[in-house]
Amino acid sequence: MDKTDVLQGTLILLVLRTLDALGPQHGYGIARRIEQISQDVLQLNQGTLYPALLRMEQSGWISSKWGASENNRKARFYSITAAGRKRLIQETGEWKLMASTIERFLDFDPDSLARERE
Amino acid sequence: MSWLRVFAARLRGLVGRSQRERGLDQEIQFHLDLLTEANLRSGMSPEAARYAARRSFGAVEPMKEQYRTHLTFATLLTLAQDLRYALRTLRRSAGYTAAAVTTLAVAIGANTAVLSVVDTALFRQLPYHDPEKLVMLWTESPSDNLREGRTGYWNIEAWRQSQSFAGMAAFDGVSVTLVDAGRAERITAARISSNFLSVLGIRPAAGRMFTTEEAAQRRRVLLVSHAFWQGHFAGSPDAIGTHIEVDGVRSQVIGILPAGFHFPKLDAQIWEPYSLFPDWDDRRAVRGVDTWSVVGRLREDVTIDQAQAEMTALARGLDEHLPSADRGRGITVSPLSRHVVGQGARFALWMLTGAVFCVFLIAVTNVASLALARGISRTREFAIRAALGASLFRLMRQLIVESTLLAVMAGAAGSLLAWLALRLPGSIDPDILGLPVLFGTTALNGKMLGVALVLSLLVGWLVGLAPATVLRRRNLALSSDSGRSIVGSAATQRLRRALVVGQFALAIILLFSAGLFLRSWRQAQDVSTGFRPEGVVTVELHTPLQLPPPQRINFYQQLLQEVSAIPGVEKAGFASDLFISSTREHVLTAESGARSRPERLELRRDEVSADFFTAVGTPLLAGRFFSHADGPDAPPVAIINLALARRLWPSAEAVGRRFKFGLAESDGPWITVVGVVADMRRQGAERAPVPQIFESLAQNPSSGGSLVVRTALDDPIRIVPAIQSAISRIDSLTPVSAADTLDAQLAAFLLPRRFQTSLLAIFSAIALLLAAVGIYGLIQYSVVTRTKEIGLRMAVGAQCAGIFRMILGEGLKLAVTGLTLGIVAAIPIGRASSSLLFGISGSDPLSLLAGVGLLLGVSVLACCLPARRAMSIEPIAALRDQ
Repeated sequence: MDKTDVLQGTLILLVLRTLDALGPQHGYGIARRIEQISQDVLQLNQGTLYPALLRMEQSGWISSKWGASENNRKARFYSITAAGRKRLIQETGEWKLMASTIERFLDFDPDSLARERE
Repeated sequence: MSWLRVFAARLRGLVGRSQRERGLDQEIQFHLDLLTEANLRSGMSPEAARYAARRSFGAVEPMKEQYRTHLTFATLLTLAQDLRYALRTLRRSAGYTAAAVTTLAVAIGANTAVLSVVDTALFRQLPYHDPEKLVMLWTESPSDNLREGRTGYWNIEAWRQSQSFAGMAAFDGVSVTLVDAGRAERITAARISSNFLSVLGIRPAAGRMFTTEEAAQRRRVLLVSHAFWQGHFAGSPDAIGTHIEVDGVRSQVIGILPAGFHFPKLDAQIWEPYSLFPDWDDRRAVRGVDTWSVVGRLREDVTIDQAQAEMTALARGLDEHLPSADRGRGITVSPLSRHVVGQGARFALWMLTGAVFCVFLIAVTNVASLALARGISRTREFAIRAALGASLFRLMRQLIVESTLLAVMAGAAGSLLAWLALRLPGSIDPDILGLPVLFGTTALNGKMLGVALVLSLLVGWLVGLAPATVLRRRNLALSSDSGRSIVGSAATQRLRRALVVGQFALAIILLFSAGLFLRSWRQAQDVSTGFRPEGVVTVELHTPLQLPPPQRINFYQQLLQEVSAIPGVEKAGFASDLFISSTREHVLTAESGARSRPERLELRRDEVSADFFTAVGTPLLAGRFFSHADGPDAPPVAIINLALARRLWPSAEAVGRRFKFGLAESDGPWITVVGVVADMRRQGAERAPVPQIFESLAQNPSSGGSLVVRTALDDPIRIVPAIQSAISRIDSLTPVSAADTLDAQLAAFLLPRRFQTSLLAIFSAIALLLAAVGIYGLIQYSVVTRTKEIGLRMAVGAQCAGIFRMILGEGLKLAVTGLTLGIVAAIPIGRASSSLLFGISGSDPLSLLAGVGLLLGVSVLACCLPARRAMSIEPIAALRDQ
């Protein structure tokens, strides 16, 4: 697994979560929400969102259709599908498991291990 | 199944591609606009706002590229791109394309055609049940150097004790007269034992096979071939139960054989019980050789080697029950497929396969060399493409696509050529090859078409790889200076030189073999056959049915008188058989001084009329021909050929001596030799004459044979109608078959040789041409790349002649190297093929010299053109022109 793949995987989770929480969004909307919610910690090249959206749509996790934006411009709106929700639950579970495992590693006190050895 | 969903989505993407891409453009614009607006709201200048928006969006083009790859099948699209590009490239260099495709097509076509024949002849299963288990059984007679002799009835009965066989059937072919609707016709009848069909695993298509009881009772029943049924009964099912008249006797049709049923070397229209021979009782008693052919089926678990071992032991056991004259014979068990296509034909086919493969290799090297040269000239193109971002993989793929395209074109054209070669009259025909028509004609089969396609693809990639090696070596630097490109091409030139050397080595092997065959053919044509065939026609005929021997004498007399009276006829004679299909073993007792001893001899016995020898033009060496005095009441006389005279009386005059058939004490008459004639090659020019005895037709009138007529006409076949009307004047029910000139019949014996020779000659001519083109291309290219060097040499004082010699020498060095290598291989190949040659040895120096001379001559010619070009180089122009 190289770097982009990790990023890609994370991106999918973020997009699914965003769409699940906020309902149909266009690409700009998704990018903005991700930056807002992460309080600008997660900075992404917003363009990379579009190939990811295409792949997710091809996998059937999201669907898209053209509609009118807030300022009445034509925009493509993405919304999560049932398969996407299932995927989100699965991905969330995996992510949490991963995060908690990493956390346990990081909270681990080496001194206690040294003491146990003695 | 998410990959399936992705696949379906991409399939849809393939259709809505451009629409979706336009959609993406809109999305991007929308996104950028919103970003810019947000930036403006936060107080940026319009310029800075746009810039910041672009920065946070990231690079647009790579993203779109990535989007496109996901949208649909990207590889497929670029492949289509490559294909279009390749088509354009090939069209642009039409000369190269035409040369490569033509060369490969000829090679592939020739290979496919020859392989189709080989596949039919050697690998196709015989059309019988479990044909691997079918064998032929022969009597072996080591003292006569006979490995596969027909056998006697007594032997078959004895052989049936063996445990190795599930069944053993006897058969023999015979020519009979069929009278149908007032017309007499000679047809071939197979006389078979009742288990013949069941041994082969064949059932009649309609009706039934005769039973063993019917055969034992000599019942007049028969089965007809499918073709006969169609021809004589118009395919009517009522045919079964009807009667036809065979040799004057009514026989009942009881069955019809399946369509396409054939047995090798027994192309019979009717199939009868083997007991229907008039001399059945004699035939049954024969213990020696030459009565029956035997086909057997091995038991499931028995191999041919086991069967052979058992039969050899059996033959030893039988010896104890035999009189001394019949001892020492063996039994040969050989696969039926070997009977269909004999050892010689097999070997010839393999040899042709080798030859055509040589042509193939030469063609491939030629095209590879061409492609190499082209690869160098395209280095710049590839370097530019690489500089523009094409990966090495992409460039390689481009080459592979181009060569695949080339291969597909060559494969298609080659298949067409092969199809034509197999279809055109007088082309590759199993009949001419000496193969039986067991399988019908050879068609271009699917398997071989597959072989052709695989071959052409392999070749395409091989050839495609040639320029690829250039690609790798040159590191794809954008080199414009010619200096480097010459260094780069040096390695390629070395490779091309090696290819030319290889071509010449292969070409000399082919030319040498073709030379050997051409010389053999000449030898076979020049051999003295003992005939003077010019102006002679022969007509096969049969005496009217049921004519007793005394009246046959009359018939022949009348016939010869009538025919001799036809204007244009010089001499008419009759022989019970003109050409020999089989010889037979006889015990002969020759009077030699005081004592006579019996001898077992493989010989041929025929009855001839008085003028027969004069008609065919066979010289009398001693004594006299038959005369009218040698009638039925005169003492029996014979004329023998030189071979027999030398065998019976090696040291003495044969004329006036006596011999008899059988042992000295047998009651056969003593026959006096009245003449010795020159040896006639009655089995074709290539077979050494066998001992032959000719008896007087008037003393021993055969039931039929060949009428031999010497005419004064340039085209003797024109006299045939007159002969036929003369015959029908004597008896309208005399069946007349094949009429042909003696020349044509002698030539027919040479057909397989002629065919092999002409194929080899064609292959060699192609090889010669390709080798010439190959060396010409190389030297020409070399002159072009060395223009500067040659100009420099001339500028410092080299003479034109010197330059000419240098270039010529460069080519000849390669040719001679190739020839030397080739000769080393050609001589053992020639030796190995000596069984296919006639009258010359496998290392015939003349053939070798001719081949070497031809190749050298052609290479001198091919190198002369570029050498002359080199001579005409203007030093100043060459040096100025970088």
